[in-house]
Parts: sequence; structure tokens; C-alpha cells
Amino acid sequence: MAATTADAVVPPVGAPAEAKERIEWRLATPLAFAYMAFFAAPLLLLFWVSFHEDNELTRMGPGQWIRFLSDPFYVGVVWQTILLGIATVLAATLLSYPLALVFYAASPLARKLLLFIIVLPLLTSVVVRTFAWIAILSREGVINNTLIALGITTAPVPLLQTQYGLIIALMQIEMPLMLLPLLAVVQGIDRSLVEASRSLGASHWRTFFRVLLPLSVPGWIAGATLVFASSTTAFISQSVIGGGRLVYLPSVIWQQAMVISDWPFAAVASVMLLISVLTGILALGAIGRLIDPRSK
Amino acid sequence: MTSYRFDRRQLMAGAAALGGASLFGTPAHAKGGVTAAIYPGNWDEQYRTVVAPALKKAYDVDLALEPLFAVDQVAKVQAARGLPPFDCFVLDPGPRVTAMERGLFEPFDGSKLTNAGKLPAGSIDQWGVAVNTQLVGIVYNPKKLPKPKSWKDLFEEPYVSRLGLTGFQTTFGTVSLIEMAKAFGGSETDVEPIFETIKKALPKVAAIMAPAAVPGLFQQGQIDITYTNTNNVASLKARGVDIEFAAPESGTITFGTTLHITKGADNKENAYKYIDTAISAPVQDALLKSSAQMLPVNKDVALSGDLPIKSLDELSKFVTHDWTKINPLRAKWIERFNKEVTK
Repeated sequence: MAATTADAVVPPVGAPAEAKERIEWRLATPLAFAYMAFFAAPLLLLFWVSFHEDNELTRMGPGQWIRFLSDPFYVGVVWQTILLGIATVLAATLLSYPLALVFYAASPLARKLLLFIIVLPLLTSVVVRTFAWIAILSREGVINNTLIALGITTAPVPLLQTQYGLIIALMQIEMPLMLLPLLAVVQGIDRSLVEASRSLGASHWRTFFRVLLPLSVPGWIAGATLVFASSTTAFISQSVIGGGRLVYLPSVIWQQAMVISDWPFAAVASVMLLISVLTGILALGAIGRLIDPRSK
Repeated sequence: MTSYRFDRRQLMAGAAALGGASLFGTPAHAKGGVTAAIYPGNWDEQYRTVVAPALKKAYDVDLALEPLFAVDQVAKVQAARGLPPFDCFVLDPGPRVTAMERGLFEPFDGSKLTNAGKLPAGSIDQWGVAVNTQLVGIVYNPKKLPKPKSWKDLFEEPYVSRLGLTGFQTTFGTVSLIEMAKAFGGSETDVEPIFETIKKALPKVAAIMAPAAVPGLFQQGQIDITYTNTNNVASLKARGVDIEFAAPESGTITFGTTLHITKGADNKENAYKYIDTAISAPVQDALLKSSAQMLPVNKDVALSGDLPIKSLDELSKFVTHDWTKINPLRAKWIERFNKEVTK
């Protein structure tokens, strides 16, 4: 043990790179063990539980998987969950890019101010932000009262407990997750590239699509991944703003695990959620490689 | 990445709070302590302010409360496999039957309670003791709607377009839906008629809610009529919300909330002291007079205030349910409700 430590501290001449790598590997071991004990092991347990026929976990079998996958209702829930993630990513993108451009063009002081405003919502609990959306979207909420006062509608427009309402709320709740990585990348884009594009005769739009957009894609991919993973698993927002008529995987998991105590079926739903999120993340990575010029 | 993690933590905290899992309950397994599970919200608040000081004063026992919904308590103790995270349960009839069937209670010795004689006959059994009576019925906004008379009214105008529905995941939701099923020709074990009625009413109803969202949606005027227990009515009223309880013609629903000692509990003796304190007259009186208006079981406590009941004797006329029959059907009902209401 003492010998290896000495090796690491004083790398033998001629093999500095190799020694350096060994040190890095060891630094990761505590985290690796923690992940194995608290993440990988429970995850394997989840898979194991999902292959049981009964709640006492005595009989193994694929019955719960067959029950889940052969029921159009639960397959529909999986699709709805994925679609919700996609819709939230798209909505957040539409609002994030203009802001990213403003940020790109802004002075250092304005950038600091913008960043502060973007991070501000993160300092409030998701629960508070979700309940605030009830006050905004409800029948007698801010939006409906404004619409009626302006004479645009006479009866309140249903917003709360609709898919649109949920996407609007999730877009705001998850937006910082999209913006922070995007801004970090946009900040690093060399301004002379934009100036070069403009001076060579490209329009504003062409400059955006051919220069800024491709260069900012890595940031968007990171942000979209976070927004997708976070919105598909946003149990509180989905149940409070979406309501009982919109059923997504997290509420199925909660009902099956806690209310009905059908653990194997809840495990199946959990694994399906995991697969859905991973599929979304992989798809985003693929899109990124298609758009990003540097990966070609 | 840092901000992402921060947000995830917040999200998890919120999820835990909504799911009822506790983040704050620190088990007090030190000498002179007892840890009790408690319903989040009203119960947690009142037990912290009323029961904890009374227990400390009477027996010098520290009370640690762990806020958890009934189903979460059962799931947690079962998952703990013999190392329970708390000494006492507080349960509604449904989860109580589940916990009994799964052997999660210590046998209960009623003779250890000094206040045992103050409770109505049948309040104590071999597994626990009644601590509170809940009343469930229709609640509505009197400024927006005339007083409803029956469960059937909920599905007629002007009520149906202002109606908020919750499913079978809570005790109050389950018993209310059963009573509605009865009104439309069903029974305690046949809720088919209410599924048909809900299906027809779906295009009109104001909201299908997660139970946790009920107070918020009522307060914001998204719904003006729903069903819940009188504790929720009292606490919303205390916050200035226009809400009134309406007893349906077929009768107000009642069920008892019970305390139980967890199998393998560390502090059994202190648990009895805690339970004895919770059913004592001064504590029950204070809980009744609190903003949650918790109905007592102790016969020495005089009913007062704005309640749909003047004496505990009236309870015998109220509607009760047999949860040994309901429980085996409930999982199917929950799933069916999801499928019927999903867009």
C-alpha cells in the first residue's frame, strides 16, 4: 500500500502519463463505490422486483411485464410521458434561443443581470412554483381574468388541468435547466465569426442558422437533456397542474407502489420510465451529432 | 451542473412532501422519546402544538413526529422489514386493515391507558385505539352555488360544471365514491354505477384532481364543489375561503382514525404514554377547538363550534363502511378510475 502511494506521488521517470491516469482513477473510487451501493444496486433490485408475479416476491415470472405491455392504457401512458418531454423541450427551446441571442449581444453587466434573473426561479422550491401556476392558470386566475377584462373571451378558458397548461407551466419551471448550459456555450462563441459572416454578406437569419445555431448546439443538447429528463419525471407539476385526467408514468409508479402496494408492477413502471428517459437522451445525442458540424 | 443538482434536490424534496415521505422526521430513539407517524398538514401542525407539549409535561417524554400519509406509513414499515422507522401509526380504516393483514402492529393492551374508560365501547381492540372521528360529505362554495342535497346533485347542473372529482386513492375519496355509487343503484362492493355516471359527466366536470391539490383548487375557484372531510373544511375556512359542509340526504359518512404501536417498536412504553395523552380530555378538547376542529373520541369533551354534529351519539346514525370488503377491490377501482378519466 505504502509502495503504491509512493508510486503515485512520485511517478517513475518515463511513464508520467500512465501514472497520472492511475491517480485520476483512484480519485473516482469513493464516488464509484457510492454509486454502486446507492444507485446501481437498488437499480438492479428494481429490475429483479419487476420480474416477480406476486407482492411477497416469491414467484419469479414475466407476468407483470406482460400485464403492462399488453395493456393499451399503460403503453399509452408511456407515450404520453415521452410526448410531454418532447413538447416541453420544444417549448423551452422556442423561448430560450431568443434569450440566448439577447445574452450573446449583451454587455458584461447586462449578462450578469440576465443570469441572475434566470437563476432566480431556481431559488424557489418547485412546489411553490407549481402552486403559483395554479393561481395563474385557474378559472379565476391571472390569465383568465386578464382575457375577460380585455373582452377577448366571455367565459374562462380552460387552462389548468389541460395538456397545454401543463406544458406552459413545465416550460417555465424547467427553463433555467435549458438556459444555463445554452448560455455557457453561447458565451464562448467567438464574436469575430458572426462579424465575418455578416461582412461576407450573410443575412441575420443566415448568420444565425449557419454560424450561431450549429455552434450552440452542444449547449442546447445538454439543456434539452436536462429538460426532457426533468419534465418526464416531474411528479408534482404533472399531478397538480395536469390533474387526474392526464396520467403519466410517475403518478402510476406512486399509485402502484404507495397506494396499492403492488411493488412488482410499480417496478415495471419505474423501469419503463427509466427506459423512456434514456431513449429520449440518446435521441437528443443523435440529433446533436447530426447538427453539430464538429462531430462530422 | 450545480444548478441542475440543486433543482433536482428541490424536486425530490417536493415529491417527497407530496408523496408524504418525510424529510424532517428525525427518529428520537433516545431515552424518554417516542416517534410517531402523523398525517401531513393539519394533524402534523396540531399534534406538534398540542400533543407534544402535553406529553412532555405529563410524562417528560419527547415526541418526534414523522409526517406521512396512511398508505406511506404502511409501505415504509413493510419496506423496513422489522426495523420500523417510527413507534406509532395513525391510520384510517382501509390502511389499518392492510397493516393488520400484513402483521405490522404489536398486540395492543388497552388496560395500559388511564383514559380507556373515557372512550365509547368498541373504541379499543387488540390492535389499537380510536383517537379521532372523521366526517365526510359534500363541500361547496355558498357564494357560488345553492346548498346541494344529495350525492346525485353533484352530477346535475349547476353543480356538475363546478365539480372537482378525486379518485379512490384516499379514504375520503373512496367512501364518497361508494356513497355516490349507492345513490345510482350500486353497493359497497359494486361501484359500477358511479363509473358510468362519471363517464357521462366527464365533458362537463371542472377538474379531476390529485387529492393534494384539492385545497389549492378550491381556494383558486377552479372548483366550487367536491367531497372531503370536515377537517379540511375547517382549515380552509380558517384561511378565509368560502366553503361549507353539506350533509347528503343519505347521511354523513364517518370513520375512525386509530393509533397503533408498530411491530418491533423501540419505545413501546412511551408509545402507550403518547397514545394515552392523545386521547386525554384536555388534549382532545384543544384539538377540537383548534383550526382543524378535530372531532374527539373522549366522552368528557363537549362538542362545540360549527360542526355538522351536536353530540357524539349522533354518530351511530351516520354511514360507515366495511373495509375488509373494500380493500380487496380497491386496487382494481383505482386502476379503473385512471382508465375511465384519462383523456
